[in-house]
Amino acid sequence: MMLPALAVLAAVSVVPFISLIVMSFSSVKLLGGVGMTLLGLGNWTAVLTDSQTWHAWLVTIEFFVLAVGMEMIFGTIFALILNSLRRARSIAFSLVLLPMFLAPITVGLLGNYLLDPTIGLYSWVLRVVGLLPAGHSLLGQQSTALLAVATLDAWQWIPLVTLIVLAGLSSVNPSVLEAASVDGAGYVRTLYSIVFPTIAPVLLVALLVRSMDAIRYYDIVKITTGGGPANASWVISLQLNEKVQATSLDGITTLIGQASVIGITMLVFTTIIANLFVRVLDRRGLTR
Amino acid sequence: MNDAPGAMSRRTVLQGAGLGLMALSLAGCTSNATNATAGTAGKGGWKQFSGTTINFISENTAPSAAIAANSKPFTDLTGIKVNITQMQLSDLVQKVKLDMSSGSSQYHVIYADPYQVLAPLSGGLTDLAPLVKNPSYPKVEKGLSDFIALDAAGRFLDKDKLFALPYDCPTMIWMYRKDLFDKYHDRMKRDLGFDPTPSGSITWEQYYQIADWFNKNGKADVPYGTGHQAKQHDSLQCDFSNVLWAYGGDYFAGSEIGTLGSQKPGESDLTSSEAVAAATFYQKLLGIAHPSSTSWDWDGLGSAFAAGQIAMCPNWHEYAASNEKSLPGKVAYSILPTGPKRSANNWGGTGIGINANAKDKELGAAWLFANWATSPDTQLMTLASKVGGGTPTRTSVYDLPQVKKNEQRPSTMPNMLTAAAVLEAWKPEHIGLRPKVATWNQLDTIVYTELSKMLAGSSSPQATMSSMARQFDQVNK
Amino acid sequence: MSDTAVTAKSYRATIAGVLAVVIVLWSVVPLLWMLLTAFKPQTAINTSTPVLAFAPTLENFIRLFTGGNSIGPYILNSVLASVGSTVIAVGLGTMAGYGLSRWKSRAKGNLSFWIISTRMAPIAAVIVPLFVIFRQFGLINSVPGLIVAYLTFNLPFAIWLMSAFFAEVPTALQEAAQIDGCNKWQAFRLVVLPTTLPGMIATAVLCTVFSWNDYAFATAFSGPESQTLPMSAGSLITQTGTDWGQLCALGIITVLPMIVIGLLVRRHLVTGMSMGAVTGE
Repeated sequence: MMLPALAVLAAVSVVPFISLIVMSFSSVKLLGGVGMTLLGLGNWTAVLTDSQTWHAWLVTIEFFVLAVGMEMIFGTIFALILNSLRRARSIAFSLVLLPMFLAPITVGLLGNYLLDPTIGLYSWVLRVVGLLPAGHSLLGQQSTALLAVATLDAWQWIPLVTLIVLAGLSSVNPSVLEAASVDGAGYVRTLYSIVFPTIAPVLLVALLVRSMDAIRYYDIVKITTGGGPANASWVISLQLNEKVQATSLDGITTLIGQASVIGITMLVFTTIIANLFVRVLDRRGLTR
Repeated sequence: MNDAPGAMSRRTVLQGAGLGLMALSLAGCTSNATNATAGTAGKGGWKQFSGTTINFISENTAPSAAIAANSKPFTDLTGIKVNITQMQLSDLVQKVKLDMSSGSSQYHVIYADPYQVLAPLSGGLTDLAPLVKNPSYPKVEKGLSDFIALDAAGRFLDKDKLFALPYDCPTMIWMYRKDLFDKYHDRMKRDLGFDPTPSGSITWEQYYQIADWFNKNGKADVPYGTGHQAKQHDSLQCDFSNVLWAYGGDYFAGSEIGTLGSQKPGESDLTSSEAVAAATFYQKLLGIAHPSSTSWDWDGLGSAFAAGQIAMCPNWHEYAASNEKSLPGKVAYSILPTGPKRSANNWGGTGIGINANAKDKELGAAWLFANWATSPDTQLMTLASKVGGGTPTRTSVYDLPQVKKNEQRPSTMPNMLTAAAVLEAWKPEHIGLRPKVATWNQLDTIVYTELSKMLAGSSSPQATMSSMARQFDQVNK
Repeated sequence: MSDTAVTAKSYRATIAGVLAVVIVLWSVVPLLWMLLTAFKPQTAINTSTPVLAFAPTLENFIRLFTGGNSIGPYILNSVLASVGSTVIAVGLGTMAGYGLSRWKSRAKGNLSFWIISTRMAPIAAVIVPLFVIFRQFGLINSVPGLIVAYLTFNLPFAIWLMSAFFAEVPTALQEAAQIDGCNKWQAFRLVVLPTTLPGMIATAVLCTVFSWNDYAFATAFSGPESQTLPMSAGSLITQTGTDWGQLCALGIITVLPMIVIGLLVRRHLVTGMSMGAVTGE
């Protein structure tokens, strides 16, 4: 039964994956037909000795921790709040769910619009309450740019985690949480000992999906900060795109080989992270 | 290629053409003189590809918006249907590159940005020179010499080949709040010791002083004196380049790199004392600019200016149309301030070319479209268009009485309020041309990334320019 | 005792209520602002203090549907591409997910990891090889091409999610059905499948959302005849000013179908997700 799906999957992933590896050892030309010449390790040394690559990785990891962290933590908190509602739970839940239906590009543009220092609603609100000095922009400051783009991502994807956690909570007997919530410590303990183990497998799917997307995160950062200011939000996918776009002086050879190297390192990194999560969180043999 | 740099050689390269206008034209009115004299358009030949459909891929520019909104005149004239796909430049470059690599042509007419498309991908574009001469096609009306900046927008390396016809020509000029400059004129003059009215004779140093004066004295009308497009983005490089050239610095030493481009630009010239002085000044200027400058590209800057956040800024002249909507009658234009060397005004024009994979009917239809879209009549149409409002790349259009009339308020062609400034800016001694090399995409990123670091205070002007130069040389080695 | 308990209870309910208002505002204010802006005239958008009182206009929507770049055809392309991709992904994914959940082999872990790993590839890096393959099969600038491109992320997601759902269905259920005379396929179709229906719906909705919202693949592979809705967002950021009114109108048009679908099947989303969470042991 698995065959048709696996065949399709292989067609759209194995061939590109192999070409990715071959290209990483080649110089690739596009004009006049795609062509490759073997180059050896040139692309690898060029990428791995480039300090910009390492900077991009550092920013990516920061972004990853910020965004995925916010999504998991606030997603869970949102779910707990919704779950404890007695009235209007259904309508509140529907509204909280909305951001995840937006296109990332719309989220990025909306972020630009709301945080615009001149006409942005949120910039205005922050100014009025005194959190943002006049004329400053969250996306334009080195100290806040990465946090701002991570928050945009979190705004969009907290709902997915909320949805999943809420689903998990619905399978927990309400009286268990009700009884536990009389004292705070018992509440947290109950969450930890009963609720989380129950929802762990689906939470794992959420965590994996979000992690993968956080590492290759591109649309929002490209349209908002473009990696700046001063490279503060220069994530690895921007570095990769930069190389995809690059041409050498003759106009024929591209740097797609170097882009492939970055692509492979991103795959390796994602694999490691994913394995780690599976190991830590998967208690029920989903992958065993 | 690197012969005799300097103003004189640039002047000879960019010799003027046109009716009473110093327009940037191909060095060779000579080589194309035959076509230039051919002049008037034959009405014949327009219908020969009736029924063909072609695709035009363009950046989201004013003329494309105007043509997209109304391509009927072209279809009526030729019977050719044209689909216009508009997207951001970086997406466009990727699509064009993939399309050219495929050996077929999904897009026949290509918006060929001189730096991102023409220089790296000229091998994938059709040489238009034979089409210009081919008698079975309608003539290029008024000839090639009528075009502004034909070399910069249309050629690469080889003067005998033509890859694109100039299609738009946004240029960076000085836009300022005339109402505020009038209001404070006497006080400023007294306080600063010079007449602050914007013109090419104001220096960048004086620009700084004016901005500073507004910061201190103009708060009631405008929060900041100056604003800049200093986001980590192409725009930062564009903004800085004006200052760099004004101070006598440049990216490379060669003189033809801005017009015909080069495949051997040599080592970067960015460590020159002029370049470092420019960076030092730029850092100082941004220090008193609107603090949101680091989050603005040209768009953010444009809307901040229109919203009354700043008294003046350097920006692309096509923002005049939206200025006139938000601040009717209150904005005026000049060429940019002068540095120790000159007033330099970054030219951002682009031509449209034809995919080399386009064949037969599609090639013919694409050529008819390119010819039509850049013709004086069409340029006049887009100039007057409500959605577009681009600016003509034909000197003859600027001389039309109905265009001249609109250079003054009340104007139905608000972009023409900048005409005096841009015509001055296009003079060889004032135009700023970025290096046309295939690696520009990478170099551009290096420039704006390093500048962004400098503006954030993490590196000195000296270190910034050396770092840029080092990376330039590595990319071009 | 009971008095304090009641007080504590209502106190907690109040806190929960206040927090709920906060999180609802956090989630919907940007969307409401987008909705308002879509009906604003230009003059009410470019203001440094937010404007709430304005004469609503349909101008922004009208402009999206008129002129040479009317978004009408893009809507159709978007619908075809995302529905096509979802149907195939959920169809194949359900079968494969079931197979995977019932497969007993040492290699299962590796296989399942490989499946999900195909979703990890950075899109920009695989665009060139995919472009070459697509060209071979004539998939460039076509809706089928987009469907295939979207399978690269939807199919692994569907397999992975469905196998989690099937893992919850006790094998005993199927065995019982087979004892009752069903063959394996009938047992799957008539007994196992219906129990995972909410899960399938949840998967389908998420797949639709992912493909509907894609920008990267659409930009690279679609052409004049297969442009999708999110792509037109890119074309509204012009060199002479971003038209926020039109962008917001486009944002509303783009998100509305997803919101409608999502909320219609909201109940199934929760049940679907909770299926994966119910302890089957």
